[in-house]
Amino acid sequence: MTDPRLADLQASLPNLRLLTEPGDLEHYGRDWTRRWTPAPLAIALPSSVEEVQEVMRWANRQGVAVVPSGGRTGLSGGAVAAQGELVLSLQRMNRALAFEAADRTLTVQAGMTLQQAHEAARGHGLIYPVDFAARGSCSIGGNVATNAGGIRVIRYGNTREWIAGLKVVAGNGELLELNRGLIKNSSGYDLRQLMIGSEGTLGIVVEATLKLAEPPPPSQVMLLALPHMDALMQVFAAFRARLSLQAFEFFTALALKHVLAHGAQRALDGDYPYYVVCEFDAADEAARDAALAAFEQAVEQGWVLDGAIAQSEAQAAALWRLREGITESLAPHRPYKNDISVRIGAVPAFLHEMQALLTQAYPQFEVVWFGHIGDGNLHINVLKPQALADAEFIAQCEQVTKLLAATLQRHGGSISAEHGIGLVKRPYLESTRSAAEIALMRGVRQVFDPHGILNPGKLF
Amino acid sequence: MMKILVGYKRVVDYNVRIQVKPDGTGVVTDGVKLSANPFDDIALEEALRLREKGLAEEVVVVGIGPSDLTAHLRNGLAMGANRAIHVVTADAVQPLTAARTLLKLVEKEQPGLVILGKQAIDDDANQTGQMLAALWDRPQATFASKVEIADGKATVTREVDAGLEVISVDLPAVVTSDLRLNEPRFIKLPDIMKAKSKPIDLIELATLGVDSGDHLKTTHYAAPAKRSKGVMVKDAAELVAALKQKGLL
Repeated sequence: MTDPRLADLQASLPNLRLLTEPGDLEHYGRDWTRRWTPAPLAIALPSSVEEVQEVMRWANRQGVAVVPSGGRTGLSGGAVAAQGELVLSLQRMNRALAFEAADRTLTVQAGMTLQQAHEAARGHGLIYPVDFAARGSCSIGGNVATNAGGIRVIRYGNTREWIAGLKVVAGNGELLELNRGLIKNSSGYDLRQLMIGSEGTLGIVVEATLKLAEPPPPSQVMLLALPHMDALMQVFAAFRARLSLQAFEFFTALALKHVLAHGAQRALDGDYPYYVVCEFDAADEAARDAALAAFEQAVEQGWVLDGAIAQSEAQAAALWRLREGITESLAPHRPYKNDISVRIGAVPAFLHEMQALLTQAYPQFEVVWFGHIGDGNLHINVLKPQALADAEFIAQCEQVTKLLAATLQRHGGSISAEHGIGLVKRPYLESTRSAAEIALMRGVRQVFDPHGILNPGKLF
Repeated sequence: MMKILVGYKRVVDYNVRIQVKPDGTGVVTDGVKLSANPFDDIALEEALRLREKGLAEEVVVVGIGPSDLTAHLRNGLAMGANRAIHVVTADAVQPLTAARTLLKLVEKEQPGLVILGKQAIDDDANQTGQMLAALWDRPQATFASKVEIADGKATVTREVDAGLEVISVDLPAVVTSDLRLNEPRFIKLPDIMKAKSKPIDLIELATLGVDSGDHLKTTHYAAPAKRSKGVMVKDAAELVAALKQKGLL
């Protein structure tokens, strides 16, 4: 460890765990994007809030950029360290700290995985309702940094709705306790909410106080087969009118092809162009009858061609795998990812334009559509043909993303629904945020992190 | 062409964490997901496959339980059974009572094959199939992982402790299904509609003349003792000392 900056860090914090082996630098220097070559200065794995603060003081002193790091399952490059930054991994700070029964809150360290948070909540007879496929690896800190959404947003909203308080080390090393678990707090700017979705550019989340909820009643999971995309929002409306939905997710035949090739179990005999997985409260026979009535109506209208219903939790998991397994099954194809959203009311018109645009723009590529259609959130993955070089493929996709961004702008949508802007979507931020908004965001950042130490180059 | 009778029991779902009622009178079933016994789903799937291969003409699912069990049997019909028999009783049913009840139905229906789950995951008794075969005085092939029907015989691969055993039994016979026999299909929503018009016979258990007196009395339910917390030892020497102290070395 010859770098004098690291020697200084080690001198300030003799007990800090610091990694500099090439394998570690690569492992901690990247997220699920594979576009950048990881090149961090070193990896710091603090075990306490005090160590995080000291690392930040050192970073300001030495002028070293810091990339906060959780489970690195991000898809926008927000946790990538390719410019000699120090990666500050919260991985070792992964404990549950306090459960408050009266408040129904659970305070955890930011490095705890989402799944561990689920298990800890369940241990108290409650749930932490934010949920998505990366649950086993992604961390609460990362969830906060991106205002993570996922598959239950339709019922429970995003991470933002479930954070009662945050402990944050700001860019200058100062420790902030934001909102302290209060439900009502009308005392000025809500800095907690400002932190949520800030992608590690304002502070390092070290602890989060999570709101917990009553477990939902027993649910049922259905798979529906649809004839065309126009039917999607009609089916959604029909089911939402009759059922208490927990999730409503869609994917295309091409997505199904990949997930089946990756080992998922086929649920329907026929092949159909579009599919929906939906989960709804089914505490009693009445709810189940309502689901069948919705299905019958959809079939009569020609919106649904076939469907299956899970008879056990195991079958429910098998149906969910058809949707949740998509991202993993696409990974070997190095997909170019779009994660976009529009208002629910704008979805039908937007889908039409998008379909036309993408068919025209990508005649040579496989384009896989899936997403949280009930939230107006679509994931559009373009798969890289094997013969095409990475750089050339990305360059071609970026051309289309410009058109896509323009379409989104017309519909008042967002270029990033739940993945964050990171490095990947930075060139398109202007399609979603006005120049005045971006100027304000820069100003806010300047206040929290005057030397621009935290995650520079991300977001804007 | 033969008829196949399939036992189709309803249990607390495999993935639900079982909780004992605070007063120790049973396990919590209110607000808990109830599903088909997984081995019974496999039994039904096998019967449907035999019918689809043209080896049987009718599949009848049988359930013994309270009046709301009918909805569960409708799932069996939606999965593909031709009809269902619901033997109605509000009492808990033990294996011998189940076997005697099934015998009455077997005498009435004259099936060529009875397929049951090897056990139900609630009481894990693993007795009903064997008892039925004995009462019926017909062959049994338990723990089946493969079933082939030809020339009035069933050739069954059984999962036994030493590996696999293949036996051949004359039909009619009782086969009980093991986990690897097949992967049950999903219920198609249109089939749930069709199942609404399939017949379900309701028979009061009391009218069958089955001796349903409880032979076993359950006195109390309790959760298994919690595992005590592990202790950390500093080094190998301390580990050896701790093991010796517990008399394990």
